[in-house]
Amino acid sequence: MVEELLFFMEVLVGGLLAGTMYSLVALGFVLIFKASATFNFSQGAMVFFSVLAFCGFMQDFNIPFVLAFILAALLMVVVGLCTERFVLRPLMNASEDTVLMATIGLGYVLEGLAQAAWGVEVRRLDLGIGDFPVPWIADNLKLFISALDITAGVVAAIMIIGLFLLFKYTKIGLGLRAVADDAGAASSIGIPLKHIMLLVWSAAGVVALVAGCMWGARAGVQFALVDLALKALPVLIIGGFSSIPGAIIGGLIIGAVEKVLEVYIGPFFGGAIEGWAPYVLAIFFLLYRPEGLFGEKIIRRV
Amino acid sequence: MSNNSANILDIKNIEVMYDNVILALHDVSLKVPKGKVVALLGANGAGKSTTLKAVSTMLASERGKVTKGSIDYDGTSIDKQNPSQMVGLGMVQVLEGRRCFGHLTVEENIISGAYSRKLSKGDINQELEKIYTYFIRLKERRKSQAAFTSGGEQQMIAVARAMMAKPKMLLLDEPTMGLAPQLVAEIFNIVKELNQKEGVSILLAEQNTNVALKNSDYGYIIETGRVMLDGTAESLLNNEQVKELYLGISKKGRKNFRDVLKEESLTKKKIN
Repeated sequence: MVEELLFFMEVLVGGLLAGTMYSLVALGFVLIFKASATFNFSQGAMVFFSVLAFCGFMQDFNIPFVLAFILAALLMVVVGLCTERFVLRPLMNASEDTVLMATIGLGYVLEGLAQAAWGVEVRRLDLGIGDFPVPWIADNLKLFISALDITAGVVAAIMIIGLFLLFKYTKIGLGLRAVADDAGAASSIGIPLKHIMLLVWSAAGVVALVAGCMWGARAGVQFALVDLALKALPVLIIGGFSSIPGAIIGGLIIGAVEKVLEVYIGPFFGGAIEGWAPYVLAIFFLLYRPEGLFGEKIIRRV
Repeated sequence: MSNNSANILDIKNIEVMYDNVILALHDVSLKVPKGKVVALLGANGAGKSTTLKAVSTMLASERGKVTKGSIDYDGTSIDKQNPSQMVGLGMVQVLEGRRCFGHLTVEENIISGAYSRKLSKGDINQELEKIYTYFIRLKERRKSQAAFTSGGEQQMIAVARAMMAKPKMLLLDEPTMGLAPQLVAEIFNIVKELNQKEGVSILLAEQNTNVALKNSDYGYIIETGRVMLDGTAESLLNNEQVKELYLGISKKGRKNFRDVLKEESLTKKKIN
């Protein structure tokens, strides 16, 4: 009995920690949704692009880890800059649907650029953190929990606290929240929309890089990361598109539920229900609580 | 470039089109003398908001464009400006329908108005205290979320927020819309006070003709995108046409919609 309980705990904790990775990806979506009321379909491509660039800097140019990370983060700021200048600004007065379509196109451009620059083969990303159980926890708590999962959890927590402080206590954070509430009124009092757009796209780019590192270390840096990022969709449906706490809790719920279901119910379906179980959960949310747990308004655009 | 002429705003014969096809303003000219309150009066759809947006350059975000005429603010043309540059030049618009940031607190709303200015925390607090002397009610509610305040309070937030940008000129779009008479008076008192103590010039779009004219120096009446009549506030208040059409008072005494209908039915009976 005790062993069964321990096993359940292990599945649950593993799932929750893996869920923080979903939270990280979802966070990138929420940032952009808040500022421009658009679901950014290129977020997955941004994850892929940023982490591939990071690997490229390290492996092709032998740039040290930290410097390569900083370079990749700067590259994402440049991507944000270009996106604002060449995609968003010309579409300033276009409908949200038009912007949505533009993000799909942007996604393809980023995927293509990444592969043209750094090749198509799967790269291994070694963060120096193994994807195996931490001995100390295994010995003392009898739980087998991956070091990578724990790292992902800690990194996600730091990012989330950082973003929270940025939004709550800085001037540009106030500007962002103002734009998120009413972009027209914000521009009427002189808040420059383009600065805010630049901020959120850069922040979303850096969040994508961090998420990409975590996923890349686990599954290899490869094209599949683009689709993996779409797992953020059920996360956002559950958590709410415009809510940062929603993205985090949505990620945790998806992570935990898919692992628990996989282990306990999966065998009845022949396994591998991880892939679709979150979408089923999302459908229930769409039917009974379409604004999500923390959402501010009904999702209209996806 | 500084301006020595008496007018802070000078609109000359502007025509405004939306989407390149819908003509919203045909021919509007108006002047706002420095330090004065000017009322822009007219019914729904007459072109009041469009005129204000043309001045604040917010038309572009609604696919509108000034196609003829010129607008000079403080001696320079506003042709090439965008809204945040206009705020930098000291011209702030308070949009129709208050448009507060609902999820932000009252105080955060007001502080956001200082976004375009480079102020230290201390300066901001000092400015806030000054603003609160005009909007005493808001000080009590500073920590509430703006969405949960009353309509009158939200209008005050919108004006207070605009004042944080330290404007030389305010454009107020229907500040009394949907407010109880007592609040209308309160809002206008504050507007008058800001005008007199802070020296802010004000262009005010209103449907509430009577109250607006009583609190203004000069008035323009526009209909279907054209200025029909203009004059000092006093002369407009005493003008027979204005009285009959906009104030509901005719020579025979007070006149309201019911009287008009009665008259019409009487004339119909006569014809029959």
